[in-house]
Formats: sequence, C-alpha cells, structure tokens
Amino acid sequence: MLFIAITVLSVLGILFGLTFLRFRAIPAAGEERNAPSRLRNYAGWLGDGARALFDPGIPAKALALYKTWTVRCYPGWRQWVFVALATSFGICAASGFFFAVFVPRGMFGIPLLCHVTAGGLFAVSLAALLLLRAGAYRPDDGPGAEKCDLCPVLKNVPMTYVLTGLFWAFTAAGLVLVVTALLSMLPYLHFGAQIPLLGAHRYGALAALIAAVVFFDLGILPRRG
Amino acid sequence: MKPERAALSALIAVALSCAAAAADKPPKWDGSRVSPVHRIPLKDELDQEIVPSESYPLPFSARFTCAPCHDYDMVRKGLHFNAGRPDAPSGRPGEPWIWADEGTGTLIPLSYRKWKGVWEPEAVGLTDWDFTRLFGRHLPGGGVSEPREEDVTRDSRWDVSGRIEINCMGCHNASPRQDPSEWARQVMRENFRWAATAAAGLGYVGGIASRLAATWDLFDGPSPDDKEWAVPPSVKYDPSLFDAKHKAFLDISYKPDDGRCLSCHSATSIGEAKHEFDEDVHTASGLRCVSCHRNGIDHEMVRGYEGESKDNDNIDGEDLTCAGCHLGKDAEKGGKGFAGRLGAPFPKHNGFPKVHFERLNCTVCHSGPLPAKEPTRVRAARANRLGIFGIARWATDLPAVFEPLLVRGANGKLAPHRLTWPAFWAETKDGTIVPMKPESVKADAGDILDAAGSVGRVLAALYDIPDLAGTPLLIMSGRAYELNADAGLDASPYADDLAGDNLFWAVRKEGNIFPLVPEIDPDAPEPNTDAEARLLQVLITLGTVPGAPGKPALAVKKALYVVTDGSLEKKDAPEPSARPELVWVRDGKQAPLVADFARRAVLTLTGTDQTLTEEQVALVLTKLGKDHAYVSSGRVFRLNGKGRLEDGSDKAAEPVMWPLAHEVRPARMALGVNGCTDCHKAGSAFLFGRVKGYGPLRTSRVEVRSASSFMGLGRAYQFLFGLSFAVRPLFKGVLLGAAAVVGSLLFLAALLWLGRISGLIGKRS
Repeated sequence: MLFIAITVLSVLGILFGLTFLRFRAIPAAGEERNAPSRLRNYAGWLGDGARALFDPGIPAKALALYKTWTVRCYPGWRQWVFVALATSFGICAASGFFFAVFVPRGMFGIPLLCHVTAGGLFAVSLAALLLLRAGAYRPDDGPGAEKCDLCPVLKNVPMTYVLTGLFWAFTAAGLVLVVTALLSMLPYLHFGAQIPLLGAHRYGALAALIAAVVFFDLGILPRRG
Repeated sequence: MKPERAALSALIAVALSCAAAAADKPPKWDGSRVSPVHRIPLKDELDQEIVPSESYPLPFSARFTCAPCHDYDMVRKGLHFNAGRPDAPSGRPGEPWIWADEGTGTLIPLSYRKWKGVWEPEAVGLTDWDFTRLFGRHLPGGGVSEPREEDVTRDSRWDVSGRIEINCMGCHNASPRQDPSEWARQVMRENFRWAATAAAGLGYVGGIASRLAATWDLFDGPSPDDKEWAVPPSVKYDPSLFDAKHKAFLDISYKPDDGRCLSCHSATSIGEAKHEFDEDVHTASGLRCVSCHRNGIDHEMVRGYEGESKDNDNIDGEDLTCAGCHLGKDAEKGGKGFAGRLGAPFPKHNGFPKVHFERLNCTVCHSGPLPAKEPTRVRAARANRLGIFGIARWATDLPAVFEPLLVRGANGKLAPHRLTWPAFWAETKDGTIVPMKPESVKADAGDILDAAGSVGRVLAALYDIPDLAGTPLLIMSGRAYELNADAGLDASPYADDLAGDNLFWAVRKEGNIFPLVPEIDPDAPEPNTDAEARLLQVLITLGTVPGAPGKPALAVKKALYVVTDGSLEKKDAPEPSARPELVWVRDGKQAPLVADFARRAVLTLTGTDQTLTEEQVALVLTKLGKDHAYVSSGRVFRLNGKGRLEDGSDKAAEPVMWPLAHEVRPARMALGVNGCTDCHKAGSAFLFGRVKGYGPLRTSRVEVRSASSFMGLGRAYQFLFGLSFAVRPLFKGVLLGAAAVVGSLLFLAALLWLGRISGLIGKRS
C-alpha cells in the first residue's frame, strides 16, 4: 500500500511539476500573479496540450523528434539500441506499475511472461547503451553554458550536470532492477529475503521511471515559447 | 412483579445459564502428565456392574463404564461422532463414505456433511440403520449408529442388535488384542452392542444377531431351542482380565497408537509391495498422528488445515498446521514466529518466488505421490474396506481412488486431492439425476447384471458330480474359467482348440484338461455306457443349478439327451447341433447354458476390476424404461430413440475430490527439489498429466481431463510458461553479463565523480 501511495504521488507530482514549469516558462503565463487565475490558465494550457496529442500532425512531429535525437546521439544502427531500451523499458514499466497498483495479486499470466522477456531485453540494451553512450555523460565533464530552469533550487546548476545525474540515476536504478530480478531467480536466497528483493525491484523501477521522464522532458523534448 | 423479585429472577437465570455453560466446558486438567491405570469395574448398558462369571453377562458399555470420569455426551460432539448432527461444522471436504455394490456397479459417495459432490444418505434412501449396516465396519460408534429413540425408523432392528456406542477402546486400547477385523465381523453380524467387547479382546462373543427374529430383545436371553443357526449373541469374558473384585484391567492409552488411526485412515498405491511403502516423514521422525491431530475431552480433533479455525468455532488458532510448526506464527509476514515446534525444521525455500506460497498449500510439493502422467491409483481404508483380515477377501478394487489431483481449495490455494468417480443407476426427476438403490435395480434387471454369476452357478453345481476328482472349467475363446474362493471367476490362457468359439465344459485333473462329457455319438450302433453314465450325472447335477432357466440337456447332431425319471432319454433335438453342446431346454427351445450376452460379458470383464459391459447397461436401461440412466467414468449413459447407448455429461457424474495431507515426503524428496522444471516445463506431469474417468463400466467412453483444468489454469499459457524455462539458464547468464557491464561502468562513473570532487581528476572542457 505504501508503494502504491508513493508511486501515485510521485508520478503525479513529477508530471505536475514538469508541466507546470513548462507552463511557467511561457512569457504570458509567467506574468500572471494571481494564483487562482494562474492555475486556471495552467489547466487550460494543459487541456490544450492534451488535445494537441490527438492532433493528426503529432506522429510526424514525434518521428521528427526521434530522428533529431537519434541522429545526434545514436546515429546509424545504434538507434536500435535506443529503441530496444525505450521499448523494453516502456513494456516493463507499463505492465509492472499497472499490476503493482491495480492488481492485488500482483503480476501473472501472459503479462508476466512479457514483463520478464522485456526485462531481459532491457538489461541487454542498457548494457549496450552504456557501452555506446556512457562517454557522453562523463561525470568529470565540465559544465555547459545552458543552465537548468527546472526549478528554483536547480536554477543555477548547469544542464549538463542535471542530465548526467539523471542518466546515471537511471543506470543505477536499472542495475537495481536487473540485479533484483536475477537474485530472485537464483536458488541462494530464501523466502524471507525475496520479499525485500521484490520491494527493491519496485522502488528501483519507480526511480528509473522518474529519471527517464525527467530526462525526456529536459534532454529530448523541445521547449516551447 | 416487584423490582427486587425481578432482579432476583434475573440473577438466578444468569446463574443457571452460567452453570449450564460451565457444564458444556471440558473439565480443567489437574496438571499431572501421567495417565491413570484403568483398573475399573465394567458396566453394561443397564448401568450394572459386570460379573464375568455370571451365566449370561452382557457386553460392556462404554457409555456407563467410562462415564464416571469422562463425559460421554461431550465426547459425542467430537469430529468422529458428530457428522449426523445438524449443528456439526462441515469443514474442509474429507473422504466420503462410498456405497459400493459390485453387482450393480454402484459407487455412491455419501456424507452427512455438506461437501461438494456427495449425496446425503437420506437423499438416496438410506436410514441410520442402513448406513450403520453398510459402514459400521469402519465407524467409530456414536453418531448415527447410536440413534435417539425418536430417530429410530421402522425398518431398523436396533432392539435386536443394540446401538453402537462410541467405541472408546477402538482408539484408546493399547492392548495388542484390539482387533478392528473382529469389530467388522461383529458389526456385519449385527452384533452391534457386542462389537466393542469382542474387538477389545475382553471376551469371546458368539451368536449372530442378524439371524434372530425381529421380536428378540436383550431380556429374552439365549435361545433354548436353536444352538446352530439363530443363536443370540453372548459374551464369555476372559477371566484373566478381572481381579477378585471383578474390576477389569484396561490397557488405556491417552494418545492412541498410529495403528488405531490407520485402521480407517490409510491409503496406499495399488501394486506397491508392503515393504516398499515409505511412511510419513513425521512418523519416521517419531511423531504420532495425535502429535498434530490433537483433541480435548470434547474430541474436537484438529484436522490441521489452513482456515480450520474459521470453519469450526471450537478450534482455537492454527498452530498445528504445516506452517504453524515449520514457520511459526505469522512468520510469513516477516517475523521469526518461534518456528520449529516439536523439532520441525525451518524451510528456506531458496529461490522460490513468493507466488508459490500464496497459491500453493505446503502439501502440493510435500505430500502424496509425485505427479505422474496419470495419477496414482490408491486403495483407501474405508472406501476399499482395508484392514479387515480373514479367510474371505474384504478389500475391494472399486471404487478406484486416484491421487494426487491438484485442486484449488476454499483458501484459494492449490492442494493435492484424492479423486473418485461416482457410478450408479439413476432416475431423472425434474431434470435432476437421482441415484437408485442397488436392490431396486437388481429387482428390475434380473440376471443381466450377474453374468459371471450365471457361469459361476453352473461351475459350482458341477463340483457336486460324483467322482469328478477335478476342477470344473468353462473354456471359451482361448481362456479357461474356473470358480474362485470368492464365488467369482478366474481366467487362465488355454491354448488347445477343444472349444473353438463355442462354450466347452471341461474338467482339469492333475494339470490336464478333459471334456466334462465324453464324446457321445447318437448314431453309433452300440451306446457308450460309460459316457452316458457320466452324462446322466452331469445333467442331474445341472438340474440343481439355482434359478436354472430350463431343463438341462445335451444336444448332439440331431439328438437331444435329457433326464427323464432319473434315466437318460434320447430325443430328437429341436435344433440340430454340429458339436455336442450342453443346453437348457424350455418350451421346446434350446438355449446355451450361458446366455450370449453373459458370455460376452464374462469374456470382457473377467480379470478386470470392472463389472459391467455397455451391452449389459443397454439391456438394463431397456428394462428400467426411459428417464433412467447409468453414471460411470464421468459420463452419463442413456438409451437414445433407436435403443442405442449414448453418453453425455452431467453434474452428477462429476468426480468427488477431497484433499490429502499424507504421506509427507522429506524436503529432499519434495516437488521442486530438482528445480523449477519439476513442474514448469512443456509437458510436465504436474500441469499436463491426464485424468481419465474410471468406473465399473468397461467402456472407452470416459471423461478425460488435464491436470491443469482441475487447477483452473490455462493450458496454453502454462505450455508457453514451461517453454520459457528451457531458456532460463541462458536468460540468467544474460542478466548476469548485463549486470556486470552496467555495474562496472557505474562503478567507473562513481570513481570519476569522486575523482572530480576530490580534485584528483581535472575538469574536461
């Protein structure tokens, strides 16, 4: 129950935070000082954004965004490593969180098979992606010119630091996911140890999801206005 | 009423109800762990002390002998005695009583408890009296076998037989003289009130109550006229058990020996040798049945399954379940739980995903035989009448009981079950199938159901031929049939061609087989006097066959030999016969000694444990008329409009299942010890084993189900899931490799970060 509460609150919080910060960055919206009307404007902006998702031009825009990102970071065949990671992570996250939040029995049946299979692909593609792209997120790189406008706390932190931190946070969470899955399959830990392993797997998944969403918002999705 | 008086009345009422409640509670233990020596006066059912040297002492009564110290009425509420009480909890399904009648192919599962798939005895026309006569051999007394006066039905003979009081000695007698077989014999003789005395070895009981007139009662005493047949039961006590004050020494055990429980609660696989049988690991470790299956004086026995305390208000907690001892209380929630009661080892279950403990009972992996492609057929003590020893064979092959079938219980977890398929003749009333009593089926079916009997009666009669000096045989279709000690038929291969496809009656002498009737040629100029003399003996003997459908004769060519006024007479045969053939002659027509359908039934059924052919079922259904059916092997058989037998399904044909818990195997012999693929692989016996219907009807039309269907699991998914385990070692290797790469790079990144923070590594521009 605690995990469900933390998951729901953190996902909603992150979504609200990221969208609100984007809304706030719009010059006209930023000038509004009255809180209720500002929230109304935010809600209207969010509704417009949601409607825009069903715009016929969206698939083309998404493809263009994908091409821009992969040409820059994963040229040629390397894009398939990114695709594998993104797809497998998407399947694992969707199936895992759905069953964790909505199904008291937990995951079972075909979704479990898909989850485990996608989990294997995730592990392999994460390792491959690190081999290809870890150099781009060296922790000892210097700061870039762009500052992070994520929130007032991180306002003066260079964006490269934030993205590097998110990249390695995702990696660390991914490692937790792989190791906990592997350990639970090996005949070394008894039942008492498996319960915390499952907990670690779930919280690792939540951390990876949050890191991925924030990274996508800051590093991949273009700014408007 | 004045307030003071009202208050006083209320106070008295409360005091009385408290007193009544206190009377219902078992007495408190004084703390001594020693069981007292039971040197006590025996009392009869009239509450009189028994003097063994008296001329006609009555049998001892547990109700009055044990009553001074033990509350008999409280004991009666216990699990073993309360099934017939309307307020008795049903609890988890247990083994039903199975009304087995071999002749009619009847196997009706019965129980007074409300379990799925069983019939209430009353619903199939059984009174308490009937039930006691049928199952008293394994009943512990009390309950329905000790009915109250207002529950006595008119068909009963309780006044002659007496009631079966609770057989305390049946469990608590530590003496090796305690004899369950003697109990069964006495009950079968309807010597109900004498059975406990005889079985406990307190004395010799003679006489047979079932032969006495219905007007006889205990006060009539012995019969002065009949010393042979209708002899009233009487006891001759063993004087060595009594002291000078007529007190008997009873070797009472507070905790009954396992043998006492196993008399009624054992099940062993068919075909296994006794010395090969592995006892339960708990027994091997020194525990006894009652170490876990405990009870107080109320005899509310712990059955030991999860959820029992919810089913039965009188059971406190579930400390004596598997988890109760091995995991401790609430250990599954993370606490230590004080596991290890009675030395129970704590299971680690390394590598087992949590779902196994949420969806499976412990017994799935640890109890009963390991799953096989088809479940193991076992014989159960009560269902198959085991544990009754004597010259006659008491044990039965049917009902066929199978184990283990994994079925989901009320707690949502799978548990291994035993299974049996009901079989019975039935009427359809308002669309519902209702079993018929075997007697009424027999009355309507006549000889159709007794194919082996029609052969057996002839063979039995042939034993009476003077100077036979051998074993009479029936030879047909390459097999020789002879009568066995249980009046059934034994078949052995027969290679010579004496009979061809015909019936051939023969006699075996010193291993050689000869024709029963020597060759007779009616056209020969001189009669063969020796052969005719033997023929005369044979025909005279056949004339004594009970229920013979005509006059015996020998048909040879165009002649018919019959016995007329004690002499052999040759007549013209109504139907010429190519080979000599013994026949029945009735109304001028010849019929073989064994009817064609009976012959086919004997050929089909002899040597099997099945008792009916499809042809017999069709013939009987024709006699019973429409709206009748026969249930067997999970199918319902009816006659269609063309008089052909067709099968269908019905709820009444569904198998009856009940969980098993023993024999428990050691951890190293548990399912899963070889890894996940013990169960999770394509084609595993655990998930993909097959269960085939089995019953008295020999037919290929039987219900077939997969093991996974009993579990409520999808076969396709389990197949896929099982396949995934073929690549699981590779999968683990891949995960390990990926984790190594990711972990190494993460470690490097952390080092770089540390170097950057510490200044050991300069900034890269």
